[in-house]
Amino acid sequence: MTLYRQTSANPRMEATLNDDSWKDWFQHHGPKLLLCARQWTRSLADAEDVVQEAFVRFWRHQRHLPGEPRALLIASIRRAAIDLARKDDRRAAREEFSAEETSRLFESDPAGDERVQLIQSAMARLPEAQREVLVLKIWGELTFDEIARELDIPLNTAASRYRYALAALRQELTVTENHG
Amino acid sequence: MDNPLKELEDELVALHPVRPSQRLERRIAAELAPRRRVHWLWMALPAAAAFAIMFAWQMQRQHLSPAEWVTNENSIVEATQPASAFKPVATQNLLYAARDDGLVTLEDGRVVHRTSHSYVDTVVWRDPQSNASVTWTVPREEVRLRPVSFQ
Repeated sequence: MTLYRQTSANPRMEATLNDDSWKDWFQHHGPKLLLCARQWTRSLADAEDVVQEAFVRFWRHQRHLPGEPRALLIASIRRAAIDLARKDDRRAAREEFSAEETSRLFESDPAGDERVQLIQSAMARLPEAQREVLVLKIWGELTFDEIARELDIPLNTAASRYRYALAALRQELTVTENHG
Repeated sequence: MDNPLKELEDELVALHPVRPSQRLERRIAAELAPRRRVHWLWMALPAAAAFAIMFAWQMQRQHLSPAEWVTNENSIVEATQPASAFKPVATQNLLYAARDDGLVTLEDGRVVHRTSHSYVDTVVWRDPQSNASVTWTVPREEVRLRPVSFQ
């Protein structure tokens, strides 16, 4: 038995996501959304394109929907990235995350720059499936449940990929630090 | 989670992803900028002129006498409006949230397993002649009730 009903606008979200606040909202969440987009795109330019497409669609049509806006936006960004990859037949190239190694993923101050570079390099060497879950959990701030739904994988798989990613990252960092 | 992993997790959380470029923010600002509203008169005048031209053209083509204009008015209106211009070209159902409400009891006493799925449905129509498009986006919540039997 299946029932359908139209959802009503969420007054709480309307209060926080009004017409004038997109810049504030985007300045706060934009960097994290862009980092998520970079997991599914070949270049920074492609990532910015899909963030633009998803964000404009979200702000125009979807921001009054109930639920967690970031989860909706990340789902929308992923769809846009997949569409872009299909359109340009760039799926294989998309998986070559190492090509992006030279492009900075994180802000860093001079004191911690070397450590940030180590983390970024170690992340680049993670298997794509693990890195995807790591980024969605840490910077996408999604729950394992939301990640599992978005990637269409079991919840336990999402959680274990996250743990494997952290463990592999720690091992990479330890080895790199010990060998200078 | 063991302590070293927790420490690493905290370190990762403290990292700030690089900011999107100013160019991206400018592009978004341009797309979200409020559209200028055109006064209805500026829309009505060209439309009236276009209608008059079409009407005259239709009269000339059909070589109708003024007496026949009235009787053929309906066909003239039909001729000026292209039939079935917009056609659906794309649909998308985006599932962005799902919730398991567990077992619930309905008003009639039946016990069911209820799950809720939130979608955004998008349908795009396009006019192949003018390449104009209309996008229709609507939220939809789907509630599924599955009867449960306890044996």
